[in-house]
Amino acid sequence: MTRGTALLAIAGVVLVASAHVGSPDTYFEGAAGPYLVRVMIRDPGVVPGLAQVTVRLLAPYAVRRVLVLPVYWDPRTAAPPPPDVAERVPGDSTLYSAALWLMSSGSYSVQVTVEGQAGTGAVLVPVLAVATQRLALDPRLGAALLALGALLFVGALTLVSAAVKESGLEPGALPDRRRTLRSRIAVALAAVVLALGLVGGRAWWNTVDAAYRTGLYEPFHATATLRADGRGRVLRLAIDDTSWTNPRRQWTPLIPDHGHLMHLFLVRDSSLDAFAHLHPLPLDSATFEAALPPLPPGRYRLYADIVHESGFAQTLVTTADITLPAATWRPSDPDDAWIGDTEERGTGAVSKLADGSIMSWQRGAAPIVVNQDAPLCFVVTHPGGKPAALEPYMGMAGHAMLTRYDGAVFVHLHPAGTVSLAALETFALRQPGDTVRGLLGARLTALEKGSGERGAVPDGAGRAPVEHRMEPLLAPSSLSFPYAFPQPGRYRMWVQVKRGGRILTAVFDTDVQSAR
Amino acid sequence: MSLPLDARPGGRIPWHVAAVVLAATSAVIGVIWDISWHRSIGRDTFWTPAHLAIYLGGALAGAACGWHVLKTTFAGTAEQRAAGVSFWGFRGPLGAWVAIWGAIAMLASGPFDNWWHNAYGLDVKVLSPPHVILALGFTAIQLGALLLVLSLQNRAADAGRRTYGLLLAFGAGIVLQNLAIMGIEQIGFPNAAHNSLYYKVAGAAFPIVLLAVARASRLKWAATTAAAAYLAISMVMIWVLQLFPATPQLAPVFNPVTHMVAPPFPLLLVVPAAALDLLVQRLGPGRDWRLALLGGVTFLATFLVTQWFAAEFLLTPPARHFFFGVDQWDYSSQLGPWRYRFWRIQADPVTVRGMAVAASLAVASARLGLWWGNWMARVRR
Repeated sequence: MTRGTALLAIAGVVLVASAHVGSPDTYFEGAAGPYLVRVMIRDPGVVPGLAQVTVRLLAPYAVRRVLVLPVYWDPRTAAPPPPDVAERVPGDSTLYSAALWLMSSGSYSVQVTVEGQAGTGAVLVPVLAVATQRLALDPRLGAALLALGALLFVGALTLVSAAVKESGLEPGALPDRRRTLRSRIAVALAAVVLALGLVGGRAWWNTVDAAYRTGLYEPFHATATLRADGRGRVLRLAIDDTSWTNPRRQWTPLIPDHGHLMHLFLVRDSSLDAFAHLHPLPLDSATFEAALPPLPPGRYRLYADIVHESGFAQTLVTTADITLPAATWRPSDPDDAWIGDTEERGTGAVSKLADGSIMSWQRGAAPIVVNQDAPLCFVVTHPGGKPAALEPYMGMAGHAMLTRYDGAVFVHLHPAGTVSLAALETFALRQPGDTVRGLLGARLTALEKGSGERGAVPDGAGRAPVEHRMEPLLAPSSLSFPYAFPQPGRYRMWVQVKRGGRILTAVFDTDVQSAR
Repeated sequence: MSLPLDARPGGRIPWHVAAVVLAATSAVIGVIWDISWHRSIGRDTFWTPAHLAIYLGGALAGAACGWHVLKTTFAGTAEQRAAGVSFWGFRGPLGAWVAIWGAIAMLASGPFDNWWHNAYGLDVKVLSPPHVILALGFTAIQLGALLLVLSLQNRAADAGRRTYGLLLAFGAGIVLQNLAIMGIEQIGFPNAAHNSLYYKVAGAAFPIVLLAVARASRLKWAATTAAAAYLAISMVMIWVLQLFPATPQLAPVFNPVTHMVAPPFPLLLVVPAAALDLLVQRLGPGRDWRLALLGGVTFLATFLVTQWFAAEFLLTPPARHFFFGVDQWDYSSQLGPWRYRFWRIQADPVTVRGMAVAASLAVASARLGLWWGNWMARVRR
């Protein structure tokens, strides 16, 4: 596919929800052994489809070659195919790119291997292969195909005419009236047959198209309800999707992602001035409950992130009307946090945090443009300007949630990018024997419980077998997220960090411009 | 007016006819190769040898016939122009025009197929709308080859008829091969040979070609020769493809193949074809309805007996041998005991009713084949 058709393909698509909402591409930053890399995987939108992978070396390492390889989640798969060598992008000594086929629907990870002077290092980047879009037919291609079709149609009728009228005659003989008449009848009949064939072809195409549309990926259906009990307001989220509640479901079970089976985000509709990040506890595999913080009343958009044992990450989307009066809040999970007084904190490049410290967005002067690396770097300082130390919040320096004002985009980012770390763990820990559902999940859960709060702690405590856990903070008071905005428009972003045992939420607004 | 005797084709094969027969062969070999490629390696580009063989077929047929009709129209002798049909003011043999049409259809299918893959994902199916247009294209090239040979055979002096008849049977063998490929999902694997659908598809697809060539060719055993040509192409492809090392290039790989996966063992069409040749010899022209009825039923009966037992053999351990090339599966297959079982025999068993439908289809196919064969026997240009 040429670059031109690729752009057309992207321009003509209808985007629907994927893991995350309206943001199907994968961004990852981490260490491939001794090499720090940023990996971007552009979602093909169809399965089987070709995913564009770019690998950027975050320092001018002496690198021999960069290899990429798709790994499918199913433990029954045999040895993987040979990896692809990513080509160095001309004019940029740290950028490599390759195109990988993702052949089956489901969870994959792309193994990026860097070979260089400092040795060989590899890292896994989870990615989902789901059909999320249908390509529209470019009018120019449509016109060209129509013209060729018309030529073939008329040509076929001419062939029938010649076959009946002339082909049976000895060379030189002229067709008599009977032959001419017969050829006309044959042409009329052939026109009917061909027209029927075209109608049948169109019906076939429509059937394929309809089947494809019904097969497009949609996250599980979920419903939120609110009730008051003696201790306060309780939010219940039920996954009421028959593909999940069916006891003979095909899905693998859920696994915890940094210690929680579900990360639930509430965003007050339209004004976006209230936000909560909760971790509902499971009552069963389809029902989750959390104590609701004293959010102001109104309609809220709910986004629930879950991860399957296969590494398949979903964002369930629903809404809830919060009408009950606020009551005292005893968080059902110590990692739960909320913010309701956004406007007082400021939404420019500087945001005041609840403990008096300040988070500044080092966004630079350049406009933020769709599909270009966004400078999501933040520094936390004391009011006097001194750097303020951060504590790990759920195993990492911070979390960023961003949404477009109209809700068309919602993403949950980590310093490692858009990927689910639980998905990453499943790929790192999976063994060929993990054919029984739940086996790998149980191992992962035991690991989570055993090591507790760990990972991005600067002193390297709680070292775990997965490389991303060693991902360093750039400095104990700053954090960054690799990402590029998928669509233009006005966005709000919540950045959460932990200091002094408190979870602090900063709020920023930004405009994202279309690429020119 | 008829040609003077010395202008009659005498067994010589004009270069453009040879080119179109070669093009038809190249395209069908390319398709078999391509299917094996997708089952063994998976990843492809436009430039795989299999694709090149397919498109070489289109390009060669289009170029040879295009050149031939231009030459005939603008620089041909009066006899050459008289030996063609008129097409939008140009003149050339009917077969050349059919082949040119096929080349254009193949050309048109390219961008359509590319869009289809981008829109709906790379299909692993043989039959999709753009693939049907591609198939119509190379089928037209095959028919063009048949028509070019027919016009030679039907005008030939006795000396040349045998050569042309053989070439015609070879062309019909390519058409049989083409049908077998398009039906690979229904009639390709021996595991499907105890389903009614298998016999319905075969009954509809093959008698038309076998009886048409039996009627149109001047060979005594034309249908048998065509079926033998199909068998020979298939066997050569089975033996040759297995020799080439291949590694799957796409994940997930469930079945790590090490060599190109052989195409399925061919249908033993030579048996029903020989029976049909015998019938055609006995009944002769003028009793086509009776011949169609007998031919259809004979085809189904001989095909059923042959394939029923051949398929049983092909699922046994002695058949898992280089010679037969069976029990070779796609890199994406999750191997299991299904390999050695008959598929869907509960859902679609061979029943009297099913065979009655298959026989009706075979009779209808046979009747169409005789009409087509009668027309082909008259093609002069």
